Amino acid sequence: MTGDCEVVSMHSKWGRGPNPYVYLIPSLVLLGMFTYYPMLYSLYISFFSWDIFTPQPVFCGFDNYVAMFGEPVFWLVLKNTLMYTVVTIPITMAISLLLAVLLNENPGWMRNLYRVACFYPTMIPAAAAGMLWVWLFNPGIGLVNYYLKKLGVPTVEWLYDMKWALPAIMIVSIWKNFGYYMLIYLAGLQGISRELYECCDIEGAGFWARLRYITLPLLSSTSLFVVIVSLINSFQVFDLAHVMTQGGPADRTNTLVYYIYQNAFRFWNMGQASALTVVFVLFLLAVIAISMRFMERGVYYEV
Amino acid sequence: MKSRRQSPLATFERGFRLIGVSKVHLHLILFMVSLVSLTPYLWALSTSLKLRTDVFTPIPQWIPHTLNTSNYREVFSMAPFGRYLVNTVIVVLGILVIQELVIVLSAYVFARMRFRGSGILFALFLIQMMLPVHAIIVPNYLTMRKLGLLDSRLAMMLPFWASGYGTFLLRQAFRQIPQDFEDAALLDGCSALRFLWQVLVPLAKPTLIAHALISVVTHWNDFYWPLVVTDSPAVRTLTIGLAMFVQQESGADWTLLMAATIFVTAPLMVTFLVFQRKFVESFMSAGIKG
Repeated sequence: MTGDCEVVSMHSKWGRGPNPYVYLIPSLVLLGMFTYYPMLYSLYISFFSWDIFTPQPVFCGFDNYVAMFGEPVFWLVLKNTLMYTVVTIPITMAISLLLAVLLNENPGWMRNLYRVACFYPTMIPAAAAGMLWVWLFNPGIGLVNYYLKKLGVPTVEWLYDMKWALPAIMIVSIWKNFGYYMLIYLAGLQGISRELYECCDIEGAGFWARLRYITLPLLSSTSLFVVIVSLINSFQVFDLAHVMTQGGPADRTNTLVYYIYQNAFRFWNMGQASALTVVFVLFLLAVIAISMRFMERGVYYEV
Repeated sequence: MKSRRQSPLATFERGFRLIGVSKVHLHLILFMVSLVSLTPYLWALSTSLKLRTDVFTPIPQWIPHTLNTSNYREVFSMAPFGRYLVNTVIVVLGILVIQELVIVLSAYVFARMRFRGSGILFALFLIQMMLPVHAIIVPNYLTMRKLGLLDSRLAMMLPFWASGYGTFLLRQAFRQIPQDFEDAALLDGCSALRFLWQVLVPLAKPTLIAHALISVVTHWNDFYWPLVVTDSPAVRTLTIGLAMFVQQESGADWTLLMAATIFVTAPLMVTFLVFQRKFVESFMSAGIKG
């Protein structure tokens, strides 16, 4: 018996049994080929000129980067992406937080219905969601303009209007995402102990006091999570732009990822696309780092 | 006893009353938001069932006066949506099955074994979670071209078989299962692999299902990658098929466009409505997409 036990403990602790590296081989090979290698390869190829005119990559130093920063479209694209991020994230977060708080207080039978109605857009492919809204935003016979007219609000050409195309896409993205973030907030709310609210009740704190001093602080780590996930997502708007506007009119809805796509698969300029990719990843990491630093001070961790 | 408020619901009701928000207001807000949220899909559904001429009525007609399914038949005759559906199912399930196998193995290692370099390796897995998928599409396209895999279903699946996020999620689930189980099983002469399949995996089923649902939704709805690596209708998936159909049908026949859109979304939408609770739980517990 003792002999057996020794064999067993050796088995589980010091090899003789499964070799961890063997189990990791499938993951590591796949991640290596399709995640780490591509990252390094992008960086490498960004220093080469590689397009239709130069079918074989030729080293060109920082030329791709210089060309990129000298291109006005790049700055417009950057502006569009930042605009999109700065507008959609706070609005989406506010709506989803409000709805989560409301849903959390109202466990009636309607709750499921509301939840489904808010969450279902997550299940729709962005490409299809874009189509639904292209129809709604139709300037002549679209539903949006019809109801705006009814309300006496001046209508616009939406996707054909230089000023309104990007806001239109923002509206679609808010509609598509708020239900998902609402669920994340609901999960966070369920983690808050009900006793805290009962204490408030005894102390006579009102709704806003509760929201300000209990709900929001205790949700701050959820909020940080939501911010990071939505930053990553908002920098990657592609499907909506592709289906709804193809980046137009006049690049007003062209975003970083779509611009990379255009460079790579429309102009077949792989060097330029790779340089853009490098800048895109660094930019995203910088924005995440800044927002984490900025928010961390406000994050309350439950001990 | 009756006057003593105990349920948090009651607490909040009073809170709302204090600022003049009653339960009626609460329902009103939720109802309005739900209505707005449902509008795009219901309107598309309604449009897809209309006759072409009924689209142009000056006042929007929510319920078409003749329910007409010919748009769907016409869409099918214009583009191989049946083929697209089959391709989508193959790609989504192909990703799912192999992805689960791969992450079960790596999650087991990170949950249960201590070995040289485990920290660094796990950090490498976590990097993949943070990395935007759209950032590596160009190099991955070049890889597929080198491998001669362009325009194949395999190319659509390959990059997603390993998942840092799935590994992370499942590792957490495996860690919840007491080490005693493993010691007992090994004592009885059970091999590590058998223990993994017959004990750990069944016990971690809720997490596996949550991850599976998110994976299915993500890849069913995927667009950029399939768009880049496919070229022919024989391998295209539903979302790409829809985008191609939109370009082909530039005459803007909205009844056809909406029929195609509804068809593309219908399989997931029906599944979601049937297993609504499971979906909501999964997305709540397993968070981010991937």
